[in-house]
Amino acid sequence: MSPREAVLRVVAWLRRDRLSAQLAAELETHADLLARDLEREGLSPAEARAAARRQLGNVTALRESSRDAWGFPVVEAVLQDLRYAVRGLVNAPAFTATVVITLGLGIGANAAMFAVIDRLMFRPFPLLRDPGSVHRVYVETTVTRRNAYPVIPYTRYLDLVRSAPSIRQHAAVSEWRVAVGTGQASREQKVAGVSASFFGFFDIRPVHGRFFGPAEDQVPMGALVAVLAHDYWRNTLGSRDLLGQTLRVGSLDYTVIGIAPPGFVGTVQGRAPDIFIPVTTVPANIEESSRNTFFTAYNWDWVEVIVRLKPGVSEAAATADLTTAYRRSRAIQRETNPRVLPDSVAHPRAFIGPMRSAAGPDAGMESRVLLWVSGVAAIVLLIACANVANLMLARVLRRQREIAVRLALGVSRARLLAQFVLEALMLSLVGIAVGLLLAQWGGSAIRQLLLPEGSTFTLRTDWRTIGVATACALAAALLTTVAPAILAARADMTASLKAGARGGTYRRSTLRSALLVAQGALSVLLLVGAGLFVRSLHNVLRIPLGYDARQVVEVYPDFRELRLGDAELRATLNRLLETARAIPATGGAARMNSGLFRSNTAQLQVPGIDSVEQLGRFNVQVTSPGYFDVMRTRILRGRAYDERDGPGAPLVAVVSNAMARVVWPGRDPIGQCMQVTWNASANLPTDPCTRVIGVAEDAASERLTDERRFMYYLNAEQMGGGWASRILVRLNGRPTLAERERVRTAMQAAMPGNGFVVVTPLQDAIDDQSRGWRLGATMFAAFGMLALVVAAVGLYGVISYTVAQRMHELAMRVALGARSRDILRLVLRQGTGYAAAGVAIGLLLAAVASRWIEPLLYREHPRDPLVFGGVCAIMVGVGVLASIGPALRATRADPNRVLRAD
Amino acid sequence: MSDTPAPLLAGTLDLLILKTLAAGTFHGYGIAQHIKRLSREALRIEEGSLYPALSRMQVKGWIASEWKQTPTGREARYYRITAAGRKQLGQEEADFKRSIAATVRVLKLSDA
Repeated sequence: MSPREAVLRVVAWLRRDRLSAQLAAELETHADLLARDLEREGLSPAEARAAARRQLGNVTALRESSRDAWGFPVVEAVLQDLRYAVRGLVNAPAFTATVVITLGLGIGANAAMFAVIDRLMFRPFPLLRDPGSVHRVYVETTVTRRNAYPVIPYTRYLDLVRSAPSIRQHAAVSEWRVAVGTGQASREQKVAGVSASFFGFFDIRPVHGRFFGPAEDQVPMGALVAVLAHDYWRNTLGSRDLLGQTLRVGSLDYTVIGIAPPGFVGTVQGRAPDIFIPVTTVPANIEESSRNTFFTAYNWDWVEVIVRLKPGVSEAAATADLTTAYRRSRAIQRETNPRVLPDSVAHPRAFIGPMRSAAGPDAGMESRVLLWVSGVAAIVLLIACANVANLMLARVLRRQREIAVRLALGVSRARLLAQFVLEALMLSLVGIAVGLLLAQWGGSAIRQLLLPEGSTFTLRTDWRTIGVATACALAAALLTTVAPAILAARADMTASLKAGARGGTYRRSTLRSALLVAQGALSVLLLVGAGLFVRSLHNVLRIPLGYDARQVVEVYPDFRELRLGDAELRATLNRLLETARAIPATGGAARMNSGLFRSNTAQLQVPGIDSVEQLGRFNVQVTSPGYFDVMRTRILRGRAYDERDGPGAPLVAVVSNAMARVVWPGRDPIGQCMQVTWNASANLPTDPCTRVIGVAEDAASERLTDERRFMYYLNAEQMGGGWASRILVRLNGRPTLAERERVRTAMQAAMPGNGFVVVTPLQDAIDDQSRGWRLGATMFAAFGMLALVVAAVGLYGVISYTVAQRMHELAMRVALGARSRDILRLVLRQGTGYAAAGVAIGLLLAAVASRWIEPLLYREHPRDPLVFGGVCAIMVGVGVLASIGPALRATRADPNRVLRAD
Repeated sequence: MSDTPAPLLAGTLDLLILKTLAAGTFHGYGIAQHIKRLSREALRIEEGSLYPALSRMQVKGWIASEWKQTPTGREARYYRITAAGRKQLGQEEADFKRSIAATVRVLKLSDA
């Protein structure tokens, strides 16, 4: 059909009623003219009219066949089937609702999971030009704790890109949260320090002004210019004309030179940055001590590197290039710091990886759990499909007579099949709508658990997710039509028509049984997964922490542009500490250096041991006296440091029990000598001994599940000025918003200059640590329960149906003397039989599959008999529960009524 | 001349209609009469195929129509051929002639 013809057909189809009327008039003319000619040939007017009519034949058929030219016969047939399908579905509201909700749940689960995973791992950053050629650079050595790491010193960045010929474009990126503005108007904002080359990675132009260029991004210090993100400029700054004006960002004043286009978020994973500044202005702004060394020293990991490869360069070639450059860089570093391990020991490697670090080599446990959970979502969809297929089968069985009648009337089996597909498609389409609604609603909950704050989660305009939902729906339509279509195509017309209104005798359908068992087995699989995760989470939550953080808040003072000398800073921190102690209704305050799970290390030497490093990683915490009281960390031996251990007194330390045991095995740790050196590039220590005066209980500091809690504590009073600036305040209850605000107000009042304080519950850091298990337990349990409910509904439906079909037989049994108990047992046995078969297969599957999730479990055997047994009991219980209703109905079989009905 | 009209060769209806309209504008009845007359009553166009064919050809853009008065003052739909129709006619005519010539040749050779 040519395009022109198609257009003419559409026009004709739209005007088909008028065309039909015109044709009628035309035929009328034809008949009149014919009659006139016949009259001329000698017929009487009446005879002529009759003859003309006869000759014209069946005018209706004629008009029908003309109609074919005015439209699309196939389309019209489909439209007719569609009307038929809609009528059929509207007439069976219970069936339609069940199917749509079941499919909606399945599709929704998948859409929600995809939406989250896509945002976390796969979606290219908006406006990035040719995203396929852009990568993030990771480095790894075999000795670092984390295997691959995307954050490196700026000096390293310069080394890597200087001598890697496969790289076409490169940029360093570094994100910070700093205060922006002055006085009351200052707010904490997200600021991205980026290379001037960064903007060249994107297809963007500034909406006002310009971006900064290479001349403004130079070592030792870039120009103080800033580009504002469009959203920030519009929403927070009210779209004012700010070009050329000054904005206080962190501790320095920047000149606004441009506004980025809307939708530009850079390559930042979490909340989009509000301000972009030259990366070479970051050190002077944020890390004053590094402002003159950040491009020559290697002691500060702070930039991430993105590169665009030259066309045709393979990832392997780029990795080889980068690794060579990385080794060369380490050689340069070794010249000033002989402690940099030789390549033969460290096996350094630099390589390119995914832009989204959640999909990268240093992805956390959450990413892996998420991938598993999306597999779980797929299983939920399978279960939903099995259930819907079962419902459709039941519907075909019920409609057997109708189908037979239609076949007898000459409807082709192909047309019949098309109708089934159409019906399934329509159900799936409504399922998409329901699914997306559920995904939007349920996904918001998942998002809060997983996605960084401020990330958008609107599925209405999320075409990738809608596409996936549609694919799921089409797959579901296909999966659910196969079985009923086969059954319908095999329908034996004569048998069905003969069977009469009673509609077929009871016949166990193997297909339906298989679907039921499959549903049960998959549900068991999910429930076992849920059980394993719940038990792991339980184990994680029972880990003794070595402190009690539940009622403690951390107050972090940000002094901004205020540059305090050592003595001044110490005095200020102590004044803040006194302020904290004076807050009414609190249980003490102390200072600490590193946040929880943000551990710090120093060079540690112990006389008599060649290399302490070989024993493991020893974390150091610098605190004020009183820390152990506030944290409720028990001192097992000796004492904690106090006022006696001032600046002039001998240096003292408290060590963790685990450290004491590994460093001085079988000896009394009290009084032992440790030598602590801070500057990594300095030569061997000349520091005097720091004496151990106490042993504290082991406290979680590295990772929650780390067994080796090697830790030592130093007294901030005996160190330089800037140490231990976090102030811990123990409250008398939970850190509610009101309590936190009370602390914040009190502490803010004591802050000098433009500085401000941020108050966070200490427990947040601990919750972060158990998030992976929490996520696994929540999602597996939610999807497992969903699967269980769907499977139970399926079982109930099938048992009800068979009971209805068997009423005749059951009534006969009652008439022959069967008691209620016998009937009950008969039906229950069928229901639990399905459940038991599902359990058996499901447990087998689970026993195999659970080994794969073992790395994600914590102190939990992947074949925990408690979990397997529990799931077994739940499934059989659900089997009984789902069949008890129909079974009770069966016992009411009244032979008098049922048998007489025939 | 036989009383029973000859059967229409398959596929020639469009050709006959186009050829007729190439000679002038006709209404439906006129087309049937024209073909009947020119074929000396050997070919008779069934109304049951004429009107669907006209609809079809109109949608294909080969012919166009408008309502006009007949000389006797009746409203009738008059068909005329379009440029696309003339192209189609040339094509179909050539095809038909070749096909007929070939068929006749086969018939002659088989008889010999």
